[in-house]
Amino acid sequence: MRDAQESVLSEMRRWGYRHVITPMVESTDVLELGIGAEQRRRLFKFADARGEVLALVGERTVPVARLVAGKLRGSALPLRLCYAGPVLSTDEGGFQQRRETYQVGAELVGAPGPVADAEVIALAARCLQASGVQRYQVDVGHAEFFQGIMDAVKLPDEVKAQVRAALAARDFVALEALLDKTPLRSAEHELLLRFPALRGGSEMLETAGGLVRNKRSERALAELAEVQKLLVAHGLGEVVSLDLGAIRDFDYYTGIIFEGYGPEVGRPVAQGGRYDGLLERFGRAAPATGFVVQLDLIWEMLTRAPRPPALPQIDAAVAWTGSGLTTALKLGSTLRLFGMRAVVDTQARDQAQAKAWWQAVGAVNLIHCRSGATVSWTARGGRTKTLPPEQVAGRLAGGLA
Amino acid sequence: MTATSKVSIAVPTGALMPGALRLLSRAGLARLSAELLGRQLMVDRSGVRVILVRPADVPAYVDHGAADLGIVGKDILWETPGAHYELVDLRFGGCRMVLAVPEASKLNGPETWPPQLRVATKYPRTAVAWFEARGQAVEVVQLHGSVELAPQVGLVDAIVDLTATGRTLKENRLRIAATLGASTARLIANQASLKTRTERVQAAVGRLREAVEK
Repeated sequence: MRDAQESVLSEMRRWGYRHVITPMVESTDVLELGIGAEQRRRLFKFADARGEVLALVGERTVPVARLVAGKLRGSALPLRLCYAGPVLSTDEGGFQQRRETYQVGAELVGAPGPVADAEVIALAARCLQASGVQRYQVDVGHAEFFQGIMDAVKLPDEVKAQVRAALAARDFVALEALLDKTPLRSAEHELLLRFPALRGGSEMLETAGGLVRNKRSERALAELAEVQKLLVAHGLGEVVSLDLGAIRDFDYYTGIIFEGYGPEVGRPVAQGGRYDGLLERFGRAAPATGFVVQLDLIWEMLTRAPRPPALPQIDAAVAWTGSGLTTALKLGSTLRLFGMRAVVDTQARDQAQAKAWWQAVGAVNLIHCRSGATVSWTARGGRTKTLPPEQVAGRLAGGLA
Repeated sequence: MTATSKVSIAVPTGALMPGALRLLSRAGLARLSAELLGRQLMVDRSGVRVILVRPADVPAYVDHGAADLGIVGKDILWETPGAHYELVDLRFGGCRMVLAVPEASKLNGPETWPPQLRVATKYPRTAVAWFEARGQAVEVVQLHGSVELAPQVGLVDAIVDLTATGRTLKENRLRIAATLGASTARLIANQASLKTRTERVQAAVGRLREAVEK
């Protein structure tokens, strides 16, 4: 899992994102500026000695926003930041029964517009690729498309609230019942009911464009078209689809939203979008967009793949007997200097015992050091050779290069 | 997610099973006898795989992506909300979730409830949510069967249970004091299946929807 995390973080660094470390514990006053009631309920909370209520972070976008408005106040925007770490939720999620999960995320703060949106989506796609996920896809939608529809449908406010609740619960039976009660049926009603099926290629923009009659949704569709064009230029035309029916926290997201899916996992493995309203709450108004990669889900996918990732191999197992220990320790240092992974045994063993230990360690090479100027070197599947230690180190380093 | 390219559908054992199988057949997805499915638990037909699971387990199979679609009573969904999409009211398996009290009881509408009501149920989540929304303090005793017995032996004041005809309630000298909600069978879908296997899954959903409306 660390390897997957490292691959994702190095991809982010290649795109010029600086790694920041945000605290695990935040004051609930700070967190509540950025998260909804439902997320608030799921925070692990406790009080410090002065009675201030603190919480273990349930996500890290809000701490990053605080960082940008606080410690990084002097840094010019746009800022490209990335982070990795555990997040906690009192809900064990039902899925993996895990309260602690790992997230790697990136935020682009201070850049409005489709070019920034496309950059972050492309980065998310490349991160999934870098993590080793075999087949992945990214669905792009727009929060304003939904908001425009909600503006346009002629419904009393309390019914609208129920419509939002039904959509948030993905309960389309309730939604249909609500909309059936209203006499006015517009194209927007139809769109709401067809929400789960509004996914596809650029033809989806035309279909939807023919149905909506409000400026807000039309602007959203125009922006989506532009982002899609940019993603093709990023070389991601194949993996990107449009999903106008993406259901997300619409109070938080203000523009382009997206989700990444991989094979074999019934949930999105990456999610993100534009949240232009958040930074303002921390006193430094700025547009922002970003995403998180759910590392636990990535790991689950990788281990279930036809060829699960191998554990990093150990290059050399260095065994010793008698005064060979000094040679063994020196040889270990030399090999590590060459960048190899070397394990030096903690107890003396003769050649036969050393072979058994070598198998248990699972290293590629066994080097057995005795008193005397030479050591015996056995490569996996090869014959044992007797050579001076410097020559063994040289040959191993040569094989590596 | 299911490794197969077929669309997999979870069907519940019990009362909803005959209706679910009739629906699959009317939709032209799979023609299966209850006897065959009951024996094999998992049956492959062209384009679809049907799996048979316990009613309360349907949301788990769908949420985890072990099944793309599931047929399940709304009563189960009240009790186990999840990340699935609830797509179609399948209009069979109708029943009501009710608050029932002994025939001789004085309990009726909310105005007659004591400050703390004791209720036995197999559906604690549904019951608590309903009473909470009405500002009623409630002590829920979770039982796993024969809930009708609980008020008669003085364990609780009332029960929250599912009833289709009301016969079992009557036989146990209980009467309905309030209805919490009406339940029918629903079609639910895994969220990722809708996104990653859109065409196949949407086609199956479309055929089931048509079969319901026919």
